[in-house]
Amino acid sequence: MSFFKKLSCGIFICVLVGTSSSYAESIAFNKAQLATLKTQNMGKQWLMLLWSVDCPPCFKELAIIQKLQRQHSDLAVVIINTDANDEIENERKDIIEKFELTDFRNFHFVDGQGDQSRFFIDPTWYGELPRSYFIESSGKSHGKSGLVNQSLLTQWLVN
Amino acid sequence: MSILTRLVLVMLACASLSLMANISKAAAHNHQPSHQAMQSEKEQISPCKGVEIICAKTVTSVFAPNGDLWRLWALHSSLYFQISTNNGATFSVITRVAIDKEKISARNENRPKIAFDKYQGVYLSWVTPKEKKYTADVRFSYSSDYGNTFTKPITVNDDNLLTGHSFNEMLVTDEGDISIVWLDSRLAYQLRLQGKKTNGSALYLGKANYRTNKINFSNEQLANNTCVCCRIAINYNNHGELAIFWRHIYGDNIREFALLTLAQGESTQPTPYQISYDHWKINGCPHQGGAISINDNNHYHMVWFNQGDVGKGIFYASSNDQGKSLTKPISVGVQSAQAAHPHMNTNGNNIDIVWTQFTGTEHELWHQRSTDNGKSFTKAILIATALNGSDRPFIINKDSKSYVSWHRPKQEHLVQVL
Repeated sequence: MSFFKKLSCGIFICVLVGTSSSYAESIAFNKAQLATLKTQNMGKQWLMLLWSVDCPPCFKELAIIQKLQRQHSDLAVVIINTDANDEIENERKDIIEKFELTDFRNFHFVDGQGDQSRFFIDPTWYGELPRSYFIESSGKSHGKSGLVNQSLLTQWLVN
Repeated sequence: MSILTRLVLVMLACASLSLMANISKAAAHNHQPSHQAMQSEKEQISPCKGVEIICAKTVTSVFAPNGDLWRLWALHSSLYFQISTNNGATFSVITRVAIDKEKISARNENRPKIAFDKYQGVYLSWVTPKEKKYTADVRFSYSSDYGNTFTKPITVNDDNLLTGHSFNEMLVTDEGDISIVWLDSRLAYQLRLQGKKTNGSALYLGKANYRTNKINFSNEQLANNTCVCCRIAINYNNHGELAIFWRHIYGDNIREFALLTLAQGESTQPTPYQISYDHWKINGCPHQGGAISINDNNHYHMVWFNQGDVGKGIFYASSNDQGKSLTKPISVGVQSAQAAHPHMNTNGNNIDIVWTQFTGTEHELWHQRSTDNGKSFTKAILIATALNGSDRPFIINKDSKSYVSWHRPKQEHLVQVL
């Protein structure tokens, strides 16, 4: 194979990798990332949605996000899985794909560190799900437990 | 130009194009942080590969009638147990339950159960998730020879539907009468097929006795509209009747605890008593069931957790008329310190309650005792801490003594007399 063939083949492969779902991989969540998210989102209204594979109502909220994203795209949503369990990695991936959430930044709590992660997000939250944080442009956050209805999500995310 | 140099050039080109694509995407979603910065954060903890108990997320412990302490856990689609003859100081070698492998739900509120009769019978029940999300069956296996052999597992729920059957609890009498309760979605499944809206699951009871060859579990619905993701609590009262304590859905998603006692031979279904009035309105998953313990005087004692408008935190209350009336609930633990997941046991007038709290870095196991049937409690005592996560704590009983069983994943399964 000539050098140019190799080069074009390499570029073709990396274009495929680089432009396909860049956010497909969920990333282990930590305190620094939360701070970064907050800093980078200052000045805009956004939503942080926390869910678990063991939470049927969470799926309903993910489905609403999926529907809104199809209609409006580029929603300011960050999605965080709270299972903190390596054993559910495949389930988590399946659900992210099923609800077409790969366009969003996806995070997950690290195995065995679920409560630590929950605590640095919000020490007054006890882990009930789904948990939605409506974050104002000033950075002020409002946590809500339980399924949020579509009209409220639309109002918050679609300006 | 050497082949190696060319290869590096190709890789650099690839990396830069990939980076550009990422930057472009990040710009489109500029509310999100840099992908590369995120990727530099790797998970530090690798999955536990062995079958040792510290690799398990949950552990179930029960004292057998002969005084042996059994502990049971699930890993890699198998059940494992160990036996201790000295109250948990040391344990036998790990034994795999010799049945075919199948998936076993064993995390948070869901875990396998173990019980005994007085004739060397060992009873196992667990939940196996099915191929479709949120579908599962309640499973059962029996050993007549103290765990040397087990019967081929059977499915307890008899509807043959690919729907939810989960959060099983099991009690077995000395004579081998088995009671398994679980949350069942067959009714919701059927209603959905008819295009009707549903909320919650149903509470089901299955009964059998392998010693008298009644090996087909009955299936009886006891209540409808239960919370779908909280464990159930069960206990026998001193008439041998089964008392069931669970999180129910009242009105518009008000999640409160309910209590039902199944009178012996009663054919009509009694109405459950509402126990908590904390007004926790949530269309979601609390993931926090309660606990019940009934003493020799038929005094029912209960603990639960709520985050309602009226009541927040752990509460304890008791009833001398099976839940019809209730003492004023008292708060347990420090609510602002994340007090949660209470469990309890009674011995005469002694009541022991355990629960967990969280400091932000460490889980703490706390204990409080009453010696006057719940009128007053001693000051709470810190028993142990955990760094890598915490299973729910449970109190188990032997010779009128309470022992706490608290599993700390990747650390240790703690058993300690209270």
